[in-house]
Amino acid sequence: MKATRRPARKRLAKGADEGVPGQAARRTDERVLVEAAQRDPAEFQALYELHFERVYAFVASRVRDRATAEDVTSEVFHKGLSNLPSYEWRGVPFAAWLLRIAANAIVDCAKRAAREFPAPDDPPEPAVPMDLQDSQMQAIEHRAQLFRLVGQLPEIQKQVVYERFVEQRSIREIAQRLGKTEGAVKQLQLRAVQNLRAQMEGGHG
Amino acid sequence: MVKRSLAMQLDEVVQAMLVSLRPRPEKAPDRELTSLMHVAQGLRDLPREEFRAALKSDLQRRASMSESTAATRTGEAKAVHYQRPGLTAITPYIIVRPAAKFMEFLKTAFEGVEQMRMPAPDGTIMHAEVAVGNGAIEVSDGNEQYPTAPAAIHLYVDDPDATYARTLQAGATSFYAPTDDHPSGDRWGAVKDPFGNHWYIAKPRGWTPGPEGLRSVQPYLHLREAHKMIPFLEAVFGAEATGVHKSPQGAVLHATIRIGNATLEIDEAHGEFQPMPCHLHVYVPDTDAVYARAMAAGTTSIEAPRNAPYGDRAAGVKDAWGNSWFIATYLGQ
Repeated sequence: MKATRRPARKRLAKGADEGVPGQAARRTDERVLVEAAQRDPAEFQALYELHFERVYAFVASRVRDRATAEDVTSEVFHKGLSNLPSYEWRGVPFAAWLLRIAANAIVDCAKRAAREFPAPDDPPEPAVPMDLQDSQMQAIEHRAQLFRLVGQLPEIQKQVVYERFVEQRSIREIAQRLGKTEGAVKQLQLRAVQNLRAQMEGGHG
Repeated sequence: MVKRSLAMQLDEVVQAMLVSLRPRPEKAPDRELTSLMHVAQGLRDLPREEFRAALKSDLQRRASMSESTAATRTGEAKAVHYQRPGLTAITPYIIVRPAAKFMEFLKTAFEGVEQMRMPAPDGTIMHAEVAVGNGAIEVSDGNEQYPTAPAAIHLYVDDPDATYARTLQAGATSFYAPTDDHPSGDRWGAVKDPFGNHWYIAKPRGWTPGPEGLRSVQPYLHLREAHKMIPFLEAVFGAEATGVHKSPQGAVLHATIRIGNATLEIDEAHGEFQPMPCHLHVYVPDTDAVYARAMAAGTTSIEAPRNAPYGDRAAGVKDAWGNSWFIATYLGQ
């Protein structure tokens, strides 16, 4: 936890690199994408598509609630878009650069809250350890992969996952909304989670 | 048969995870379930599809507007969630005196965590927020315009017996100790705190008919002619009533009403549980529209929509039962 800034940055970069499968080819591709976006901001959306889940997974695991996670994620991509011209390709993967912005945004968010509403009894903790271990990076990649896989589930299973885990609706409510029995909804929930588990195991090195 | 029981077992652990005050790895009886649970825990943080799409179009809009000036201010086109971070769609706003003492009670009895405190010049509390479990309670000493109004809160906890005991130590009086005989099927106890608030302390067993879309903190309104509240909330907030139980005479024995991502409960006032008009803070996507619908539905205005200095579009109305609804849309920093 006491790592200085410089090695921390290196480790972050390395971790981000290792977590993503198909590295070498992908980095060249990504370089092309970044340079395209630097020429034309409209091209930024390709980078957004590539990194949204990763950034969101990182932020969501470090803030208190969904609204804050959305706020911070939104800030990260807006800053990413603004600062893109100053991004230089020096072997720091774009993902690591974005996560650095995210780490700062999370700290800023905590500081802002503390400044606006000082609570003397509990000083704000630094929300983000600045040195991301490889294992933490892998956890983020793993989580991001899970989010992406949900999008590939059969439509009805996907619906159950969103209703249950995002909307936090009860089985009973979901059953009513989908016109199914509660038993069927539980079964769909099981199938969805089993599918995701199988894909995570299959797709993760 | 085996498969079906796995579906039920998984749902039990998912259920426990979703309602737990402090999400933590559940003890699962076997490896199969443990590995499924691991996936389910990841899904808790799944981003909303609407958010992903909204942010994307925000970025696209900005990129097309500012082709030459990449240094545009970031705040402008930000996709802001309409709820203030830390709050859900419905938060009870409890005005009691002294508010500072009440906050101590929330901390002692419910392991509440103070999120903010804004003192007035005279040292009273103008506004404060205490997180309890996965929900929050807003607190104030109030003033002439906003007089004392204790509330009834249904509180979901991990251990109702321990929580009940702590409330008594903190000065609450008991209606009844936690029991398994409550009609909800939950283990359920009830107390009144020294400030006049009711706390219904429960642990969910399975997903009971009441608390759909479960939050730790749910306002509980005891009303006369409670059945009229349902169409009112549907019309004003686009609320959804779930699990409405009525007596043969048509009185509402219990109903859960969902607004956005949170719920409140109502029933027909009875016995010791008489009406306690209270203040509720409700986040909606469009304050002006909700305010207009509320006025059309016969509320009286407390405050017309305005941009409040703390960054909300805010309005206030009082309903026919005397409850105040503070309607708000978070506008971002």
